[in-house]
Order: sequence, then structure tokens, then C-alpha cells
Amino acid sequence: MISQAGDVAIQESGVVMENVRIARGTYRLRIDLPNIAARILPGQFVMVRIAGRTDPLLARPFALYDTVDEAGTPRAVDIVYLVMGRGTQALSALSGGETLELWGPLGNTFPPELTEDQGRHLLILAGGIGQTPFVALIKELLGLRRYGIHQETGAGRVVNRPRKITVGYGVRSAEFLAGVDDFRATGIDLHITTEDGSAGQRGFVTRVLDEASTTSDPPTAVFACGPEPMLGAVSTLASEKGIPCWVSLETKMACGYGVCFSCVCPVNDVASEQGWDFRRVCIEGPVFPAETISWPNM
Amino acid sequence: MPWTPAARRGGSISIMDLEVSIGRLTLPNPILVASGTFGYAKESAGFVDFSKLGGIVPKTVTWEPRIGNRTPRIVETASGMLNAIGLDNDGIDHFLRVHLPYLRKLPTSIIANVAGRTVEEYAALVTRLNGAEGVDAIELNLSCPNVSCGIDFAINPESTERVISLARRETDKPLLAKLTPNVTSVAPIAQAAAAGGADGLTLINTVVGTAIDWRRRRPILANRIGGLSGPAIKPIALRIVMETAAKVDLPIIGVGGIGSIDDVMEFLVAGATAVQIGTANFYDPGLATRLVDELPGALAAIEENSVRRIIGTLERN
Repeated sequence: MISQAGDVAIQESGVVMENVRIARGTYRLRIDLPNIAARILPGQFVMVRIAGRTDPLLARPFALYDTVDEAGTPRAVDIVYLVMGRGTQALSALSGGETLELWGPLGNTFPPELTEDQGRHLLILAGGIGQTPFVALIKELLGLRRYGIHQETGAGRVVNRPRKITVGYGVRSAEFLAGVDDFRATGIDLHITTEDGSAGQRGFVTRVLDEASTTSDPPTAVFACGPEPMLGAVSTLASEKGIPCWVSLETKMACGYGVCFSCVCPVNDVASEQGWDFRRVCIEGPVFPAETISWPNM
Repeated sequence: MPWTPAARRGGSISIMDLEVSIGRLTLPNPILVASGTFGYAKESAGFVDFSKLGGIVPKTVTWEPRIGNRTPRIVETASGMLNAIGLDNDGIDHFLRVHLPYLRKLPTSIIANVAGRTVEEYAALVTRLNGAEGVDAIELNLSCPNVSCGIDFAINPESTERVISLARRETDKPLLAKLTPNVTSVAPIAQAAAAGGADGLTLINTVVGTAIDWRRRRPILANRIGGLSGPAIKPIALRIVMETAAKVDLPIIGVGGIGSIDDVMEFLVAGATAVQIGTANFYDPGLATRLVDELPGALAAIEENSVRRIIGTLERN
């Protein structure tokens, strides 16, 4: 399959360099993976499997958190994950030196070329572990770092720098906050919300959109990633306010590259009998314009 | 190709005859990829060298487009997974217009896989494919467990024979019957497939099962039940291949839980003429072509030089 970088997804074995706990149940896994590291773009994902095991059998999808350079060349891939089930439980037990089997880069990305109007004020909303695609994306959009650079021509993808980026990052409770320093290091304006009020403002992350839209500098585009109810709420809110919105979906996947048809989501489709059709999140997404999703059929 | 003493002395495993025949369908090697685990092939372009594969069986095609089941469509189980995709596909017209032009250009055999709701629909699908350039054979999916409105044709010999004999009238292309393990005995159904005019059998489709979230007291799959696949079902598939090979005089394509070259060799020795890699395509996208590379070494390990010479060579204990 062809990624937006024009690169074909490849399968690559990678050795675990480190696996560091960064918040409650949350780890940053660094994998020595030069070929995928050189190709992957923010917003894309990789499939990760512990080599040689049949239980758990299937790989798990993880967004790129960031790439790590060595001597100016991409060398490693960082993913950040929350322990949710047997797959992530097995990953959390890795201590370094183990071999993982990966394939990627997979999926599309958030639109890198917002129009001038859309780019006046980009609001990024991250819910829980849905924060993982955004640190690298912000770095790319602000010109702090480039990704997927063609090794011979040096060409990368074109990015329109938004005039302003605000991030709303919501979690259940302060102990789940992960990578806050990484967000702050990019210089963006960070608004934290917690459901229990243990850090930042109490409530859901959607309040950041609500409040920002009443200021003199309201958001002109929204990128969101998080649990499905949050994405539905963000989509509705953005639509009411007339703000273009893109969401990155998380679904169960067996293959990640389009052959199993298990990760589908309902997308509006006037050509189909019922007005919508299932589309594969792994190859047509994970990022969709919010208005294209048939939310009542989710 | 001959197994020359020179090659043996040189330790070469390059002079190996991997070719097999499923009736009139000759394949360069016995490693195929199973329907529903390889999409329409182009998704795998970065992982698989198509020219190495014995053949590709694209995802099941139905007469009308099918939206498929709601999600969750899969759930992982111990060394396996349950799926209930529900034959999500865009129908035969779309397949012929969009997918086949890509598939027919690939340097390997294409075995189209079809499922009908009625005997007549199977016949109509076969008729359409019979006229299609680039379809080397047709596999009849007689046993998808996830289509609630459909009839599971392969649960009794009469309906199996009837659907195959009607399909047989519509095409000269090799016809394969993909049968279900979800019966008391596969052999009578396999015999019915032979009587109906099938050129070969694909054994087995998935094993019906379920998974339950006891806290919510609900089945996990939206479809309640699904088809179990992966390493967990390999012993079942191997047993059915062994028993059917002993009773039915048709070439068998073995499928079910294959994930290594040892698995491939076990199926061949048990009586399969070829194998399909299924769920392993999900968890190891490059596996199928690696298995083709590993096959000569496995033959050499038992001092054989031809795949055909080891098929069905299982001895009695």
C-alpha cells in the first residue's frame, strides 16, 4: 500500500531499545527500526508484534509518537501505549533487547496543508492515550522537525505552518498525564483537563473547544484523537460552530494493512443503498473529515 | 527437474521441483494465500513477492454488494482469532471492473472465490467469471459461517453436489469446493463434491465459535458467533485433510492455522497437494513468500527433490 509519503509499507524486525513507564499504565517503547523510521509521518501508525509468539497472536496498532535520530538520520521509532489488554500487557513486560516484528508506515495523516483560513488557529484535542499522534505532528507543522524525508532527493512533504496551535489534552486523572513536557517543549499553548479535577480544569476536553470558540481568536480547524464518544462530541460541536474538523479513529485491527476488513467504520456514501458504507480505518483512515463519518451508525 | 548427483554433492537445493497440479490447474509451487486474508492483493504489495506465490485467492465475491456485519468483527482468542466479517464486498460487477484488472496482471495464478445465497446465484457468479480473462480457477465458498441470511450449502451432501454440478455446467475452469469443518463428517460431503464435478477441495473453512464478555453478559462479536482461525485450529484442519485424503480421490488444498514451513510439510504429507496461508497473513504479512523460499530446504531435509513425491506419504503407526 502507498502511504502519503509515497512510500510502500514494509515489514521490519526491530530490537527494543527501551521501554519506559511515563505515566500510570503508560509506557514509551523505543524500537531500533531505521527503515520504517525513515518513512513514517506523524499521524501514521505501525503494527507491533512480539516475534515468535502465537499467544497473543495478533499485532497491535500504535501511532507514531516520534522518531529518534542518530547522526542526523532517523534510527528509532517511539510509540506510547496504555496497558489495556493482553497485547499491551505483554509489551509492558519488555525490558530491552527483545525482537519485535513490525510493519508500516500505515494509514493516512491529518491534512498537512491547511488553507490560510483554516490555519489561523489550529486546535488539537487529545483524549487520554489519543494524545500519541500529536507531539510529532506539532513539531512537523511548526517546522521543528521533518519526517519521511526521501533519502536521495531530500524532499519531504509540504506542510503549511498554522499561525497558532492550541492543544487541549484531557485525561481521567492527573496520574494519566503523559508526555506533557514534550508538548510544552514545542512552545504551543497547552490546556489540560481532568475528569476529577486533579490537574488543569475539571471536565472533558471538549470544554477547551467550547471556551476557545468564544474568544477573539476562535479555532479555525480542529484535529482530534481519543475515545469514540469524545470524537462524536467534538465532531458535533465543531459542526455547530462551523469549524472544519478531522478525527483519528482507533479501532480493533487484525492486520493493519487492509486485508482483514475488521477495523471498519461507517462512512457516508450517497452511492450506497443505505446512504453509508463501512470503510477500512487502516487504509482509508485512521484520519477522516468528521462530517464524512456516519456517527449514528458508529 | 531432475535431482542430479552433482546438485546433491554441491549441497544445492536450487534444483527442486515444487510444481503441483490441482486437477487441470498447474501451480509453480504449493503455497497459496487464502480467501479473506489477502484482500485483493494490492494491499500486500509491499510485503509479498507475488511472482513467488503458487496462487492468490482474493476475498469472496457475492452477486450483490454486501455491507457486512457490524463491529466488533473480530476478537483474539488463545492462539487464534474469531471473525465475523460477513462477506463485506462490493459485488461481482465491481470485482470484475476494479479488482480483476489488477489481479490479472500479477505473475501468479488467480483463483476467484464466490459465495451465493442460492444455487442459481452460485451458477450465475460462475458464469460471469467463466468469461473473465485472468481467472485461472474458481473456488466455491460453500461454508461461510457468518452470513445469517445465507444457507450453509456444505453441511449436507445433497446441496453440495447440487450447487457444484450446476456450477460445473457453467464453466470449464477448474472448480474448487471450500468445505466447512462444522459437520460430523466431512468425507461424505467431499464425496458429493467429487460427484458434482469439483476438481479439488479446499479444507477447511473456519470453525464456528464464540467469545463472551461475562461482565457485560454479552457475546463480544456483533454477530454473536464467528469463525475460529489461526494456529488453534491447525490440528482440526490436519485431521480433516488426512481423513478426507484417505477416502476421496480429489486433490486437496489444506488450510487452517499454517504459520511455518513445518506446518506446510505436515499438510503435504497428510495428503494436501497444496496449502493456503490464511490468518498468518494478518500477523506476519511477508510469511507466504518466505515459506516458498524455505520449501526446498525442508524437502532437502528429508532427502526429497519434489513436492509431488511427498504428498500423502503419511505412514500408519
